[in-house]
Amino acid sequence: MTLQFINAEKRIHDSIVFPSFNLTVKPGQAVAIYSSVNVREQLMEVLLENSRLSGGEVRVSGSSYIKSKQQLGFLFLHHGLYERLSIVEMIRFTKQLYTSNLSIEDTLHMVQLDSKWKVKIKELSYSERRRVQLACLLVQNPSYYIFEEADQNLDLESKRIFLTVLQDLKEQEKGVLILTGNMESAVTAGDDVFRLDDNGLHSIQTRDTLEDQSAADEISVTAESVLPVRFEKIPTKVNEKIVLFDPPEIDYVESNEGQSFLHIKGEGFPTNFTLNELEGRLLPFGFFRCHRSYIVNLQKVREVITWTRNSYSLVLDDTEKSTIPLSKTKMVELKEMLGL
Amino acid sequence: MMISLKRMNAILVKDFKDFSRNLAVSTILILPIGLGIMYGQTGPNSLEANFLLINLAFVMVATFVQCCLIAEEKEKNTLRGLMLSPASTAEIIGGKSLLTFILTMLTVIITIFFTDYRPANMGVIAVAFILTVFFYIGFGTLLGLFSKSVLEASVIVMPVVTVFSLGSFLPAFVDQYPIAKIGMYLPNIQLIELAVIVEQGGGFGDVLSELLIILAWVVVLFLLTRVMYRKKMID
Repeated sequence: MTLQFINAEKRIHDSIVFPSFNLTVKPGQAVAIYSSVNVREQLMEVLLENSRLSGGEVRVSGSSYIKSKQQLGFLFLHHGLYERLSIVEMIRFTKQLYTSNLSIEDTLHMVQLDSKWKVKIKELSYSERRRVQLACLLVQNPSYYIFEEADQNLDLESKRIFLTVLQDLKEQEKGVLILTGNMESAVTAGDDVFRLDDNGLHSIQTRDTLEDQSAADEISVTAESVLPVRFEKIPTKVNEKIVLFDPPEIDYVESNEGQSFLHIKGEGFPTNFTLNELEGRLLPFGFFRCHRSYIVNLQKVREVITWTRNSYSLVLDDTEKSTIPLSKTKMVELKEMLGL
Repeated sequence: MMISLKRMNAILVKDFKDFSRNLAVSTILILPIGLGIMYGQTGPNSLEANFLLINLAFVMVATFVQCCLIAEEKEKNTLRGLMLSPASTAEIIGGKSLLTFILTMLTVIITIFFTDYRPANMGVIAVAFILTVFFYIGFGTLLGLFSKSVLEASVIVMPVVTVFSLGSFLPAFVDQYPIAKIGMYLPNIQLIELAVIVEQGGGFGDVLSELLIILAWVVVLFLLTRVMYRKKMID
């Protein structure tokens, strides 16, 4: 009972969209693929059988894809809903179409639309429509769920509902594949996170591997803090210029594909330092390593959101209200720092 | 391929709810019925006038509504969801056609009721009407698959509406322009010819050629729609 990509590769004319990769989604597992829009769209096309892989194949539970396609359920970014129907009519229609035996009430409750069950879909907000779409997917009761940019542009409430539903699905031993172009979303939602681009599939280390990593980090931190750091400003490169930033200006630091970016007022500036070096430099200024790939300025943190027992995010007080993932182990550390 | 009546019924119910709330399309039903009432008020009408209305009802409801139903599924991105579902193409198109069929039959019956047209042989006319509805629904499906939005659908359906409703006057020009003879084989004209024979006391045996011509049209359109579906659905 697995969804497998075996040596799957895709080329369009001469350019490689993604080279051959192997990936297995097991029941009870949420796998996130972080990729560009182009790669995501090509992957969706392959899964929808609108285009074929250039090599390799996709298998569901060991048998060929075409036969077992019905075990897959899709949540599309561009949704199709009958706008003149009410929420309950839409879900009932989907239920009849898929001859499923899940209860409509339970599904409505899962996406927390029970109070609006009679409202017509055209009167709903974007986030609520996405939740109706999610409800329609849940009522189909497939074995595997494919989420395309599931939490893009959602309000906080809907994001929380989405992550709760995801947790439920994992407990029900369903396989989940999340396709997204947002690292924060991939890290928050997926157990195993991968980056897929024209260089192939790379694993991005997350929570599970974090414990040993943080131990190693601490050693390097103590080693570096011994060094006398005279120079407090952090240099970044913009085109050919070097720009210096005061640590309190920085909202957060993100590491993306081996490059560290300082985020200041909604703009990202690349810097040559690694996250570990930056962490050592910034620690005295009230910065905190909240995730393997993130350092956050604690002075700018406004909210700590608990999605589920295992996933958290920090909301900053900057212009964009950026959200930053907070890993489970770091949550404990943060609580201690806050004296909770 | 097994056709599940349950799924077809689900699509029928969904489309009915959607249709009844879509005033832009559903108010079209008023047109033939309203004209029927007006015609009825002016006293007894010629057979041609009656059939102008009946053909208008057919094309306005069967073709226009079917065309809009399918075009809207495409425009709103919902057809993809339907096609991913276990429902087969036959069930999707079948559910929609069933709704259009019921709506057309109701509209035609109401229109006839108001215009005081009482066919001499109900059986023959009923069979002819049912065959004709299949033709118009097939046409609507074809145009619906062809267009990308409801707006486009309602534009491309207009020439069809004109040809098949005003086309009822064609017999008047045939003597003047021999080329118009080809048009005499159109299903709407055949329907009128059939009605004339029925009024003269003809039975099934007398109208066989007309029925066969209409049937031929139905078969041609269904084949065309099939080809169109294959072509359009691959994208």
